[in-house]
Amino acid sequence: MSEYAFRKINIDALEEEVLLPSDLYDPDPRGPDGVLSDAQRKSGEVRNLVSKGDIPGALNAILSEPPYGEGVDQAKDLTTSSLLLILNSTRAAEIPGILKALDQEQQDHLMAYIYKGMAAIGQGSDVSGSVLLNWHAQLTEVAGVGCIVRVMTDRRTL
Amino acid sequence: MSAPEVFQLSLGPLTGIAFSPDRSQVCVCPNSNEAQIYTRNGDSWDLTDTLAEHDKLITAIAWGPNTNRIVTCSQDRNAYVWTQTEQGWKPALVILKINRAATSVKWSPAENKFAVGSGSRVIAICHFDEENNWWTAKQIKKPLRSTVLSLDWHPNNYLLAAGTADGKVYVYSGYIKGLESKPEATIWGDRLPTGQLLAEFRSPNGGWIHDVAFSPSGDALAFVAHDSSVNIIYASGPNEPPAAHIVVKLPALPFTSLTWTSESSIVAAGHDCQPILFSGSSSGWSLSNSLDDPSSSGSKPLTPSATGVRSGGVGRLGNNEAFNMFKAADSKGQRSVSQPGAGGSSSTASTGLTQVGQDGLLLTVHQNTITHVEAYEWNQNGDVSKIFTAGRDGRLVIWPVTSGGSKGGLAGRMAGLQV
Repeated sequence: MSEYAFRKINIDALEEEVLLPSDLYDPDPRGPDGVLSDAQRKSGEVRNLVSKGDIPGALNAILSEPPYGEGVDQAKDLTTSSLLLILNSTRAAEIPGILKALDQEQQDHLMAYIYKGMAAIGQGSDVSGSVLLNWHAQLTEVAGVGCIVRVMTDRRTL
Repeated sequence: MSAPEVFQLSLGPLTGIAFSPDRSQVCVCPNSNEAQIYTRNGDSWDLTDTLAEHDKLITAIAWGPNTNRIVTCSQDRNAYVWTQTEQGWKPALVILKINRAATSVKWSPAENKFAVGSGSRVIAICHFDEENNWWTAKQIKKPLRSTVLSLDWHPNNYLLAAGTADGKVYVYSGYIKGLESKPEATIWGDRLPTGQLLAEFRSPNGGWIHDVAFSPSGDALAFVAHDSSVNIIYASGPNEPPAAHIVVKLPALPFTSLTWTSESSIVAAGHDCQPILFSGSSSGWSLSNSLDDPSSSGSKPLTPSATGVRSGGVGRLGNNEAFNMFKAADSKGQRSVSQPGAGGSSSTASTGLTQVGQDGLLLTVHQNTITHVEAYEWNQNGDVSKIFTAGRDGRLVIWPVTSGGSKGGLAGRMAGLQV
């Protein structure tokens, strides 16, 4: 295997003109601490709304200004788990109506979280694949494949 | 309304295409290191010349409408300017000084210079050096951080827009001292030394920029990005933020090319295999109709090709016969082939035309991604009345630009097919 060792060299460390994430997008103006406190506030809000059965309100809260970028992993995890809580506690029949009420930006964010949830399956998360697949199918129906393309393209990972 | 004219020029993709000034000839690259010139003969095209000088794939071709010179650029890091002589087309090497592939080339409106974008993160602005009798380049390097994928000249012959792989669009001054008179101030900027950066924009979701284009007046700039967006920017004045940055996010696959057909309309085309007309102004833009299938636009304007809007939900495979066969075999153990739209679960709800026919061909005229959209013919008002498209299916299609309400139907369009 030694002849493949060169493939593991981090060429970015040797390259002077390396393209950093900060070159590709602007960092969140709230800063890491602001993002975290926002995420904590929102996840509390979401738990409250979900227990009252207000799924559209909960989705609305969690999908506006989600944390993205580097150095905000804790906020990202909090937001993701709140979002998955919402997805898990929605009745299947209500999904299309809820999705249509979201604006385009929120739909894109939701799609990103669905993919993130799918990536987490099998890594100890409590989310079921069938729930995510159902949301994914319904969202694609409403928002189109353009929504998927935007998620795949976006470097501002949620 | 006349049907589009459809020509199959190659079995593989067309990587570059440019029409002669009088539209009687077309220069295409059939995904190889040679460019071919076809001459129109009634309803067919005859191969008349082959431009063979490049070592690698030709990535772009431009044909100057006034000077009748062709410029080709290639992955071999070279560009050639071809001049027609009595003995055929003669190449002249351009000193580009780049160490990666050249990706795009455009003649300036006055055709005294052209711009070449490249993977070595530079834009080369090339002009003819009388003293040495060759084409030489001035390079723009800052602040490019990635491959330049597309270029477009402002109608004033001085400004240049560039779209890059990191999702940025730049507006530069492409003025060359000693070659031309000093430029006057424009709405984009007033200080215009060579390579001066005048404006910088970003695609909304960071998608790489497939194509950029200035509007006919030059006061607006449009670009399409890989995040399925069409962006239109209206300049407000030198050193000021733009008056408007309008973003249209699509439910469909991304566009790869666009062209302005008037100050208030754009035709864009790409991975959905059909040219789409957009219209608007500085207060907003919206999708108007598809040039390919205006009859079935109506409330679902992208039908049949907005792969995500259609029910069925699995992209363009949704009504593919082979796909349905495997799907039925997989889920129900059926061997027989169900009719598209009849047997599937949700596809019964689909109305209008299906995108993939029984024979597995797409119902759009183009059978693969459209990679080039350009103006073909203008009317008396100066607006574009016909455009041409070319794509990965090797087809060249000349479309009349019509805004909605027109008929023609698919059968009428297929009648125009000449293979």
